[in-house]
Amino acid sequence: MTSTPLACESQDLSVVYRDEPVLRHVNFRVPTGSVMGIVGPNGAGKSTLIKAMLGLVKPLTGHATFFGQPFGDVRKRVGYMPQSASVDWDFPTTVIDLAVMGTYGELGWIRRPGKAERARAMAALEMTGMQDFASRQIGELSGGQRQRAFLARALVQAPDLYFMDEPFQGIDAKSQQAMIEVLKDLSAQGKTIVIVHHHLASVLDFCDHVTLLNKRIIASGPGPETFTKDNIRMAYEASDGAEAFLAEAG
Amino acid sequence: MSYILGVVLLACTTALTCALPGVFVVLRKHSMIVDGISHAVLPGIIIGFAIVGDLDSPVLILGAAVTGLLVVLGNEWLTETGLLAGDAPQGLIFPSLFAVGILMVSMDFQHVHLDTHVALVGDMNLAAVIPLTVGGVNIGPEYLYVMLGLLLLNAGFIAVFSRALKITTFARQFAEILGIRTRLLNTAFMFLVSVTVVAAFNAVGAILVISLLVVPAATAQLISTRLSVMFALTAAIAIIGALAGFWIAYVLDTGTSAAMAVFYGVLFVAVAVAERTATRLRRNRHQDVKSEETSATLVRSASVR
Repeated sequence: MTSTPLACESQDLSVVYRDEPVLRHVNFRVPTGSVMGIVGPNGAGKSTLIKAMLGLVKPLTGHATFFGQPFGDVRKRVGYMPQSASVDWDFPTTVIDLAVMGTYGELGWIRRPGKAERARAMAALEMTGMQDFASRQIGELSGGQRQRAFLARALVQAPDLYFMDEPFQGIDAKSQQAMIEVLKDLSAQGKTIVIVHHHLASVLDFCDHVTLLNKRIIASGPGPETFTKDNIRMAYEASDGAEAFLAEAG
Repeated sequence: MSYILGVVLLACTTALTCALPGVFVVLRKHSMIVDGISHAVLPGIIIGFAIVGDLDSPVLILGAAVTGLLVVLGNEWLTETGLLAGDAPQGLIFPSLFAVGILMVSMDFQHVHLDTHVALVGDMNLAAVIPLTVGGVNIGPEYLYVMLGLLLLNAGFIAVFSRALKITTFARQFAEILGIRTRLLNTAFMFLVSVTVVAAFNAVGAILVISLLVVPAATAQLISTRLSVMFALTAAIAIIGALAGFWIAYVLDTGTSAAMAVFYGVLFVAVAVAERTATRLRRNRHQDVKSEETSATLVRSASVR
């Protein structure tokens, strides 16, 4: 299909929760350097796809590779931004501490984060416009600030491939703008980004590739040619949100 | 060393030994699992006592701690089957094990005479009776040195694995992606908690140990924005509570462990109320400043007009 090397791909990935199939034989390919949006209705298995690829959920069938290798061999090249709802916001940690956590993977057990690590964390906070909140406890942040703090942690990891699970959920316009700027920067540097997204109207604002998912892959490829009315309708099976969007889009 | 000083030091050491792992127990929201452990180790302690004949023996402590792990592992297993939701698996496992322990106690299993009262709330004074003598000099209760050893073990484990514990507690998925073996770490940590519960059994019993483990950390969490601060406050609260508990028990001529648990509870309520009040005052002041700003702007715009 294309000669671009793949940043990651899944082969025949199926996931079952109890006896409920969540993903069915998914072959998902992300070309290196692309910004890939995964869209689909609630319960389509968008987060599960990411989690199964990263080994957080055990798949029933299939496997995933990253830069042609199993995940265990290339951990350091992969960054992950969790869904906001999965974070314990009461945990006693500050924004700068959170960003420093991005260095834990390379530090190992013995070495402690020092000045260099804090400087890197601070630089990442500046990139996301969070430097003024460095000493705040994470629970004291607004929704958008929280996401920017987690984006900073992912930046500190300096991976080649980013996975972001609903990074724009519940955030203000200013935070969204700040984050999109960072994403564009990363993309310009040749990084690959996979974003789970649920807001149809804004997908093509920052994604050059789109995957429509509803337990199986409906369509996947370059944005405009994949994100068609027919494909959207097929993925959403006449759900209200998609109908409204399609009506608006004419 | 005088007997009184021995009891005071034992109270402080036991409090600190329990409170340190308590920080992660509270942050992981595992308080009730620890309650389960503290009940489930009872049959382990009795069987161990029947074999070894000494409640302070490290062999008994490690052996009985394995019974505590049954709660942790059984809980994980039952949760994964998806047959039971929430904390039902816990409620299923530990009462059965505790009941086995109670049956053993009441039936004088293998002629073990364990006072039911001591099994529940312990006896700090009794635990400090046997002294350790080195070269004919009494250097304090033997049990104190068991707890000191465990304190070092707990502090060492937490120091070495602090970052791994922090990140698995705060963001388990992120930790797994970094390649931390979260499950192994959790099992190791819960085993250490189980060991701590068994070791403290002698002094504070099966029921009150949960208070020593959980309440200092829970109190510290109310006013901590950083993990290091939370650890420092937890340690301070543990020691203060041990001293206060000892003093209250001394004056009222009652059990040290119970007095400590009551003091911790009162301190928690006091800190919670103070924290709430401070937050409210801060918010009000913030609003005052805001409304002043608004009125200043209004005045300014009015004067411009």
